[in-house]
Amino acid sequence: MFTHNFKYSLKTLFKNKTLIFWTFAFPIILGTFFNMAFSNIEKNETLSIIDIAIVENDEFKNNKVFLETIKTLSDKENEKRLFDTKYVDINEAKKLLSNKKITGYLILEDTPKIIVNSSGINETILKYVIDEITQNEIIINNIINNKIKNNVYTDEIYNEVMQKLESNININHIQNQNLSYTMIEYYTLIALACLYGGILGMSSVGKTQANMCSTGKRISVSSTSKIKIIFSSILASYIVELIGIILLFLYTIFIIKVDYGNNLILVILLSVVGSLTGLSLGILITTVLKSNFNIKLGIIISTTTLLCFLSGMMGITMKYTIDKNIPIINKINPASMITDGFYSLYYYGAGDRFYFNIISLLISAGIMVLISLFSLRRKKYDSI
Amino acid sequence: MKNIIEVKNLTKKYKNLIAVNNLSFELFEGEILGLLGPNGSGKSTTINCILSLLKFNSGSIKIFGEYMEPNSSGLKRNIGVVFQDIALFEELTVYDNIDYFCGLYINDKKVRKKYIEDAIKLVGLQDFKKFYPKELSGGLLRRLNIACGIAHKPKIIFLDEPTVAVDPQSRNNILEGIKKLRDNGATIIYTTHYMEEVEIICDRVIIIDKGEIIASGTNEELKCLASIEEKIIVECNNFNDNYIEQIKELENVSDVSYNNNILTIYYTKGKNNLISIIKYLKKESIEYNKIYSCLPTLNDVFLELTGKELRD
Repeated sequence: MFTHNFKYSLKTLFKNKTLIFWTFAFPIILGTFFNMAFSNIEKNETLSIIDIAIVENDEFKNNKVFLETIKTLSDKENEKRLFDTKYVDINEAKKLLSNKKITGYLILEDTPKIIVNSSGINETILKYVIDEITQNEIIINNIINNKIKNNVYTDEIYNEVMQKLESNININHIQNQNLSYTMIEYYTLIALACLYGGILGMSSVGKTQANMCSTGKRISVSSTSKIKIIFSSILASYIVELIGIILLFLYTIFIIKVDYGNNLILVILLSVVGSLTGLSLGILITTVLKSNFNIKLGIIISTTTLLCFLSGMMGITMKYTIDKNIPIINKINPASMITDGFYSLYYYGAGDRFYFNIISLLISAGIMVLISLFSLRRKKYDSI
Repeated sequence: MKNIIEVKNLTKKYKNLIAVNNLSFELFEGEILGLLGPNGSGKSTTINCILSLLKFNSGSIKIFGEYMEPNSSGLKRNIGVVFQDIALFEELTVYDNIDYFCGLYINDKKVRKKYIEDAIKLVGLQDFKKFYPKELSGGLLRRLNIACGIAHKPKIIFLDEPTVAVDPQSRNNILEGIKKLRDNGATIIYTTHYMEEVEIICDRVIIIDKGEIIASGTNEELKCLASIEEKIIVECNNFNDNYIEQIKELENVSDVSYNNNILTIYYTKGKNNLISIIKYLKKESIEYNKIYSCLPTLNDVFLELTGKELRD
């Protein structure tokens, strides 16, 4: 029964023009538009040095991690430096910012604070760099504390910290790459394609729901276990979705020549996990909401587009704005988890942040599937 | 006869609306039971409750002596359902649609293949196996809908208005197919608001209105409930309303109506009525095109019991 339903689910999915459009064609069409819109911008764009200021208070002077990292990133002898940094007091920093001489300034208090006037790519870079330094500071402090506990000589600790700064801090990685507006758009495009798997999820579960369609009634009265039907349908949908993602990758890599860097395998891993989350989102909406097929389709498409918008699809500064003002939204937004996973992979390589996003996506998918299965068990309806 | 389905005091409410009110009936092995009632009378709701698709407020339903639940897969194996709505996959051919739904019951591919061929033959779709549903006419779609519901050779078949909006040829084909299913050993519940179909194929009829059983029995038993024994229909163009009162005075006449050039005369007894009305028409020089006598129908029974037409 499992393979029987699986076979026919694949057959119906591949022959459903609406589903094929949204899962296969639409992301490719959108990618083509992105390519047309951004390729010229990209050609003319090189990474410019960002003017920043550091409030030189005691906290900063005593924080070797920040001190050394900012120094490295602002070294004028380095052709690929990221920042042009001024070390000033708080009043001067405010003045420089209000006169638009700098993108933003950093002030170290209990926690590092970045003050900016507007949202933009430079502000986004500044934020991500400071986030990265903060994370590494925590790692290094842990090392120091452990060494001190073990009575290791101070010079040895210092050397190890410096080694950490040189090798482990992935910020250096950023200098080796051109920051690309287009890449950010392609990441949200992949996130969108992953989340559009929700449409397939809706289709696979919806056809088993007696209150959604007439085939659902017929399937519900059959003697086959509903769980078997649901799982085999979901598996078929997932495979179709992955084929769609593979096609999107092939198209972007070979036709519009998108460079996903050296981590293509991890990019694909993130897409595979992201697709599972998208599929689960569709299943959840299908099982929890009480409405017909077309309304649910509309809800899934609009929800997915909204999530992608919040994660920066229609404006790359949106993600930063949300991060700054309502961070919880991006913490629970699957599109943000996917795009953030790509950002972190692209800029910093496979690190904790990347795997954190992978795990978050898996947990989200698990929760959504569990809620859906719970509501699907032995279902009788109030009305159909 | 062996009792196959037993519905006791079934009540189903949608908020303030009572869709099914304290309904009780039994289905016996080998019979075709007709549930006859106008649209919205509670026929489909009753079927959906029996199939465990709908929650109900009170009562009990037993099939083969067991309570029906959504996970009663053993019972479900013996049940086939043809819903009022067309339940097919547009992306699959006629053959694949039947194969898919039959495969939800029958695992063995060889057995399934034979069953599918039998179902296709039964509904007369031999020439349309590779057609997609959108390429079929309404009548053929209905036939396919039936084939998908009965291909696994169930013991009990629920047919919920299977002939809605089909042409006469397809309707006859469908009704013939249903009789064959019964002849092959299936027990059938057939819901409809077409009284002619019930009279043709049902062994026993339950008339439902507003969720309640208002009468039940064989066709003959039900017709006995009507206070008339005969109806005479006269097609005449220039009929004066003044004649109605005179006709009412004729022997055995219980009622007279005249609508759209059709004069209908109802008689309490069914002897010599045609002769007497022809004489009257001749005497009054009333011209008519057609005159014929007929027996009371289930619609007359329904009209008498509820005060409204079955198809209102």
